[in-house]
Amino acid sequence: MKTFRKYWSIFQITLINSLAYPGELVGRSLMIIPFMWIFHQLWKVTFNAAGADVIGGLTLRDMLWYLMLAETIELGRPPLARTMSENVKDGSIAYILNKPYDFLLYQFSTAMGETIFRTIVNAFFGSLTVWFLIGPPNHPEGFLIALPAVVGAWTLHFCVNAMIGLSGFAVEDVSAFTWIYQKLVFIFGGMLIPLDFYPEWLQAIARALPFAGMIYGPSRLFVTPGPELFINVMSLQLTWILALTLLLVIVYRRGLTQLTVNGG
Amino acid sequence: MKEIKFLFAIWKANLQSAMEYRISFLSQMLGMMLNNFMYFAIWIIFFDRFQDVRGWGVNDMYVTFGVLASAFGLVSVLFGNAFLLSEVIARGRLDYYLSMPRPVLLHTVASRMIASGVGDFFYGFISYGLSGYLTWDGLIRYILATLLAAAVFAAFLILTQSLSFWFGMMSNFSQLVLNAMLTFGIYPITIFDSYAKFLLFTIIPAALMGAIPAEFIRAFTWGTLAQLLVGAAAFLGLAIFVFQAGLRRYESGSAIQVEV
Repeated sequence: MKTFRKYWSIFQITLINSLAYPGELVGRSLMIIPFMWIFHQLWKVTFNAAGADVIGGLTLRDMLWYLMLAETIELGRPPLARTMSENVKDGSIAYILNKPYDFLLYQFSTAMGETIFRTIVNAFFGSLTVWFLIGPPNHPEGFLIALPAVVGAWTLHFCVNAMIGLSGFAVEDVSAFTWIYQKLVFIFGGMLIPLDFYPEWLQAIARALPFAGMIYGPSRLFVTPGPELFINVMSLQLTWILALTLLLVIVYRRGLTQLTVNGG
Repeated sequence: MKEIKFLFAIWKANLQSAMEYRISFLSQMLGMMLNNFMYFAIWIIFFDRFQDVRGWGVNDMYVTFGVLASAFGLVSVLFGNAFLLSEVIARGRLDYYLSMPRPVLLHTVASRMIASGVGDFFYGFISYGLSGYLTWDGLIRYILATLLAAAVFAAFLILTQSLSFWFGMMSNFSQLVLNAMLTFGIYPITIFDSYAKFLLFTIIPAALMGAIPAEFIRAFTWGTLAQLLVGAAAFLGLAIFVFQAGLRRYESGSAIQVEV
């Protein structure tokens, strides 16, 4: 219980810190407005050209609310890998490693603390834009049903991002890995196009990977909530969270042996 | 002529500096090419499903994405500091450039090279090669269009980041308009209505970086060439004017320091 309180306090401190510069928080979140507007233009034309009201089980309205949550999750996550890599480069990692807390749990607590308000503000501006462009979501209750899946998506993001950050122990500059990871999320996560629109063979691959649990799962659950989909999304997330956490711990222990601290 | 020699000297020094860490340079270049390919894969999936968006197909996307990537890469490599101009101004770090006997704007923006831009630049040519529009005269038009699109892009960066002379640190705003420029530049222009198109030629001139250069590459017309030339000249002129006007308001940060 005492251990939990320690990380809860770290989470709370980061959460409060993230509110220290509200202008910065809002400014960063405004990007979702042009994104949603351009998605509206593209998919309106595409639905018209296809001459269909429903494609892949989604209406145009579902599609835009799906993309709103997808963008919110993506834009809300903090640049953890880059921060960890910077900590290695400037030597400040030494001050984090020698504190009486677990390095990975500390990073998890701070990442969650940074994520929450970013996500809320992005969701606020994204929802306002989509509501203005096309109206309210068809299933407003989907938001509550998708919430556990959003938390699962954050955890999955953390596991992969932390692993990329840990690779900074060996290679220092992790930017190429973060770009490629982001694009894997774009493609296999259904970030810009829902997986239902993919060819069957690609859908089968994408649905089995963790990226589907990061974006597609929560977003689809939001627009078409249902018990079967909920169970599918949560089991995919839990399986990958367990596997990636195990891998993360192994990578961390090995990474420590390769770390070289440059000053600090 | 003197300024051109000066520019080449800076670019040479930037390249030598980047090549000091060859593995990092190569990983950034190849990583960016892979990154671009993976991003474009989404458009391949999209057009595999929908074939055509108001007459705009995947081959048009290859050309548009190619010229935009090459122009972006060219500016990143040759004028990489243009991306950080707002920070340089707000932190008073123009002092260093003001103390040198060279044009301040040119010296400032050229004094940094972003290594990953090399990957963007070459990826653009690959994308054009895959488009099915590749011809010898098309390649010449591609190079010309890349230069003009790069001029528009560099001007846009200078213009928006120079607002820091009046409003201080604007990194969020700069990032916002930069993302908007790149996002709007990549999307098929046929999806936009006339109001949006007006916006894409003026306030966020993404059409002059993506759709219009792509149209010029696919088929030569005097009209598209004139649009590109006038656009590049107008935005460059405006960017230099705004920077110079801002420079008169600049207050030293007492930060004369060695730039490394």
